[in-house]
Amino acid sequence: MTYPRIIDDGSVWIVIMPPVIWAGHFLAAYWIAAVWCARGMGVLAPAAWAILALTLIALAAIGWIARIATVRYEGLLRHEASIADDRERSRERFLGHVALLLCALNAVAVIFTAAPSLVFGQC
Amino acid sequence: MRSPGTRTWCGPRLLRLAPLPVLCGCEGRHSWLAGAGAEARAIESLFWPFLIGSAIVWTAVMAFAVFAYRSAASDKGERVGRAVILWGGAVVPTIVVAMLLLTGLLTLRALSARSPALTVQVDGEQWWWRVAYRVPGQAEVVTANEIRLPRGETAELLLTSDDVIHSLWAPALGGKMDMVPGRTNRLTLTPLTIGSWGGLCAEYCGAAHAQMRFEVVVTEPEAFRDWLADEAMPAAPEALSEGGGLDAFLDAGCGACHTIRGTEADGPVGPDLTHVGGRGRIGAGLVPLTAANLSRWISHTDDVKPGVRMPAYPDLAPEALDRLVAFLMALK
Repeated sequence: MTYPRIIDDGSVWIVIMPPVIWAGHFLAAYWIAAVWCARGMGVLAPAAWAILALTLIALAAIGWIARIATVRYEGLLRHEASIADDRERSRERFLGHVALLLCALNAVAVIFTAAPSLVFGQC
Repeated sequence: MRSPGTRTWCGPRLLRLAPLPVLCGCEGRHSWLAGAGAEARAIESLFWPFLIGSAIVWTAVMAFAVFAYRSAASDKGERVGRAVILWGGAVVPTIVVAMLLLTGLLTLRALSARSPALTVQVDGEQWWWRVAYRVPGQAEVVTANEIRLPRGETAELLLTSDDVIHSLWAPALGGKMDMVPGRTNRLTLTPLTIGSWGGLCAEYCGAAHAQMRFEVVVTEPEAFRDWLADEAMPAAPEALSEGGGLDAFLDAGCGACHTIRGTEADGPVGPDLTHVGGRGRIGAGLVPLTAANLSRWISHTDDVKPGVRMPAYPDLAPEALDRLVAFLMALK
């Protein structure tokens, strides 16, 4: 068995990782802004830069998952009937397909989460 | 005389009345469509495009649903259907939601970017509003349940609460903002239309939540500054010297909770009454300020406002009550 399981073919973790990355990014962005503003720092810019850096890291991680889903799992964005076959390879391609869709969804969600910090200059 | 045939019109006529409970909120002093403030107008300018856009999207989705339901299955239809789902169900909604988010955020930024000419501290209490004006070089002005603002000038409202969460909302002037214990939230209002606009608590805060109202009185800037200067003065001397009213006030123990500047009454619990006679309403916006209403308020407080924290004084002698009411009405 090779670790981490996320890049081990056949693991369902590849499907779970994009939402986990979004949740972690959401929590961290919220936490950074809340703590920064609670300490009376009126100007949001330093916190916004931290959230922007975090966003880029989250998007890179989601991109990495998307690459694994495409290359290792041969996942496609479009639906193909063959991925529903009762075969090991089809099951992996199904996981790749679902993981890719979740990557797209969670990349958008991460950008939406970060958007307010890029628009507002003040707490 | 009504013939049996005309009865058939009653149904449609009644149906036409059906939206009235909703539509009656579309105008008047509590309506956010009244456009009495710059902030309310900014929110309204978001509302109509959003409403029209939503109606178009809803109609298109319903039309697609009917079309899909009536279409026969085919390979070509399957491919087209998947393309519609991809573009209509994922790509276009993502773009639309992103645009809505950006528009909303930019509007919010524009609303909070106005630099205020005036700062007003508003403290939410169960179930009334303590309002304080702090103008540099002038004595602090404390009043209650009435927020006076000058037309055309941006006022910054610093919102706090001492007990539970309240929410200040004057719909005709702008959006609402929560008042959270331990925090100071900031709301800016730029009134554009002179008048008396209704306000209310928009966060359930206990028994008399629905009776926690206030007035926003918008006047010309000169009239506002005259009012502020008058409010900064202690109680009117003619009221204090009038027919034993102050004695009745102090004897009844009112001074333990209420302040009248210029007298020994300095209670911090209830509303400051230094210029109570100049306010339009009593009981946190509940009833107009008249001698009869004030008399009933003092003697049967809980009847006027169930749940109110102020105790009623039903046993006050009629002469003492009359003197007290005349005294309070004279505190202009």
